[in-house]
Amino acid sequence: MNFQWSYISAIIASTLRTCSPILLCALAAAICAKSNVFNIAMEGCLTISAFFAILANFYSGGNVLLAVISGVVSSMVVCFILSLLIVKLKASPVVSGMAVNTLSNGLTIYLMFVFFKKKGLIVDPIMKGLSKITPFFADYFPELAQCFYGLTIVDYLSWIIAIAMYILLYKTVVGFHIRSIGINENAAKSLGINVDRYKITVMTLSGILCGLAGVLLSMGSVTLFIQGISSGKGYIAMTANNLGASNPLAVSLASLFFGVCQAVGSFLQQTSLKGQITGSIPYVMTIIASIASSIWLQKRKERKVKEALEGQKKND
Amino acid sequence: MILQMNNIVKTYGNVLANNNVSLYLNQGEILSIVGENGAGKSTIMKILYGLEKPDEGEIIVKGKKVSFHSSAAAMKLGIGMVQQHFMLFDSLTVAENIVYNREKSKFGFYDKLENEKAVQQLCQQYGLFVDPKAIVSDLPVGMQQRVEILKTLYQNSDIIIFDEPSAVLTPLEVEELLATIKKLAQSGKSIILITHKLNEVMSVADRIVVMRAGEVVATLNKNDTNQQELSMLMIGRRIVELELPEVNVTDEVLKVSNLTVGNIYGKKSLDNVSLSVCKGEIVGIAGVSGNGQSDLIKCISGLNQNYQGTILINGKDVSNKSVNAIRKAGETHIPEDRYYWGSAKGATLSDNYLMGQHESDEYTKYGFLKKSKIDEKTREIIKQYQVKSSGENQTISELSGGNAQKLITAREIERDNDFTIACEPTRGIDIGAMEFVQRRLIEKRNKGCGILLVSSELTEILNLSDRIYVMFEGRITAQYKRGEIDAYNIGLMMLGGKSNEN
Repeated sequence: MNFQWSYISAIIASTLRTCSPILLCALAAAICAKSNVFNIAMEGCLTISAFFAILANFYSGGNVLLAVISGVVSSMVVCFILSLLIVKLKASPVVSGMAVNTLSNGLTIYLMFVFFKKKGLIVDPIMKGLSKITPFFADYFPELAQCFYGLTIVDYLSWIIAIAMYILLYKTVVGFHIRSIGINENAAKSLGINVDRYKITVMTLSGILCGLAGVLLSMGSVTLFIQGISSGKGYIAMTANNLGASNPLAVSLASLFFGVCQAVGSFLQQTSLKGQITGSIPYVMTIIASIASSIWLQKRKERKVKEALEGQKKND
Repeated sequence: MILQMNNIVKTYGNVLANNNVSLYLNQGEILSIVGENGAGKSTIMKILYGLEKPDEGEIIVKGKKVSFHSSAAAMKLGIGMVQQHFMLFDSLTVAENIVYNREKSKFGFYDKLENEKAVQQLCQQYGLFVDPKAIVSDLPVGMQQRVEILKTLYQNSDIIIFDEPSAVLTPLEVEELLATIKKLAQSGKSIILITHKLNEVMSVADRIVVMRAGEVVATLNKNDTNQQELSMLMIGRRIVELELPEVNVTDEVLKVSNLTVGNIYGKKSLDNVSLSVCKGEIVGIAGVSGNGQSDLIKCISGLNQNYQGTILINGKDVSNKSVNAIRKAGETHIPEDRYYWGSAKGATLSDNYLMGQHESDEYTKYGFLKKSKIDEKTREIIKQYQVKSSGENQTISELSGGNAQKLITAREIERDNDFTIACEPTRGIDIGAMEFVQRRLIEKRNKGCGILLVSSELTEILNLSDRIYVMFEGRITAQYKRGEIDAYNIGLMMLGGKSNEN
């Protein structure tokens, strides 16, 4: 029993750890979607902020705070520029978003060589990761605390942000305006809302969220930068946003689901299954989940129609 | 005098939309601006509402010369507008729509109760009742319009512009609206009413400005004029009454049996609808929009292929068949939404005219288009239907809505076929062209084509139809022959009243 629990708690902890970057990116996608901007640059922002966090970390001799700020600001700047392109210059959000994603990869490889004269991997003992937080109840329920092993302050923050975003969107006036832009942009404009400014602000904010996620990647469970560090998490986050219909709470659940997939995937690596199979689990699950949710929505629509027809027949 | 617009000039490219237009508005007055499409009345209102900038001229509001170029700025000056196409947030509540951008809040949090209370008070103050908690998309069109009116009132507008407000309403709703407009004027609001329905003008307006070709041709007191004079001034000539000559009605060209469609909101949008159209008759469908007419047309034209029931065209079973199959069976279709279904916005007039006939031998040979033939035909149509454009190579999105409508209507009417669906064939086109299109429809009927006419213009239905079906909540609730019913009683039926006959 004890043996099994240690496995389960390890999976739970690993789920929470892998979930938070996805969650942060999915929330970024969600708030953009709510204000009618299509942001697909999460993947690129992850890479960029992960790199700049490591860069600042190295040059400051392990100053964690400076590293976090550097990562977050870099991603924020990227999203701000992107928002100007999309909102002010009316560039295609898909093309410019993809450009950021592709550029980020090449740019970080190049900068890696410029600053570190290295290819592929940066790791150095001088760099420090985010400090791990031990739950306050660890002394009383050590077994339960196992489930939260290795979580950093940013991991906890991601859940707080999810709830805060829900409150922002659905309870405050500002959130009301953000949602209204997604519902009918022209009506919002006609009532004197500066739609462009809202969109740019929201997108810049989404850059901060992606930045935090990037910092988690390069300074969370391990402290290093490796080529392709984002490994599709930005895209998985887009799916999570879709599954959760851009509602922060539902998006959190969807992100958790992908966290589980990733955790199970890496856990199964220790078994005799081939690495290629276990490694592909999160991505296969992403596809399956997308298909399943589409089918489910379609079925629900059809069922509603059918019920309506039958309901009326009974009434007649 | 609360508002003065002096010598306004506005040009679009080399088109003079407003030429030296001057008008004024007194407090508590209802001023009506009438004119055909393209007469410049929407341009002058767009200028007043800050959507367009005038090239020349001045605007004086409450004694102060002003210059503004956004609707938000116009609102600050107390100018509100009830637009023809509502500017509402469909999935939000009535209260949320009304208080928008002037919300009551506590520490930045939206105060639901206070806002709903404020809206309730506003409703009471003006006697315009609507449930603040209702979701806008659940409300009938008349109520949605009321939300728009309340919105301008909540913004403290003193000058309220109504742009073709009755276009979407039933006769009873129109009466209610006119009463509302009068009430608002009595409470001190100044009203500008843009319309081309002269009976409405005669019933509420204090003064009338007639516009033609970008200029003000007359400013009249209501008591000094009448409908005939106004329509003469508007179009510059007299209108001839339409006549429907006797035609031998032969076999059924459309037969719809037991058509049923459900929608996702848990309602049947069509419920066991059966109807028929014979060759040589125009069959009108009267109903408040949203009572199933669109769904019916979507099924018959093949835009919706997911329904129960059967549809025969020319005796051929086309149930659940594609648009192409149905068109090949001899159907043509003037769609309800000229931009969404009716045209390709970025394409030229001749390309748009070709659409749907791109496989006919008349315009193609061995799979190549006969470009000169198509252009020639389009030019002919442009001339005949008086489509105001720079030529067949202009893109359709550059035309005004009414002119685009003319081209699309022409495309579907001019084909030689047995059955035509005409949805709002004259929506947004001016009286002169309206008369022409209606005449064409009648000629087509006389030649033996069956026509299914859907229109929100009740007069159009009554004037053109040999038979009329009334639709209410997805059902056919009554059927009349020409002359059996008048506008008032059919209006009652459209709102779900019970038929005395049968």
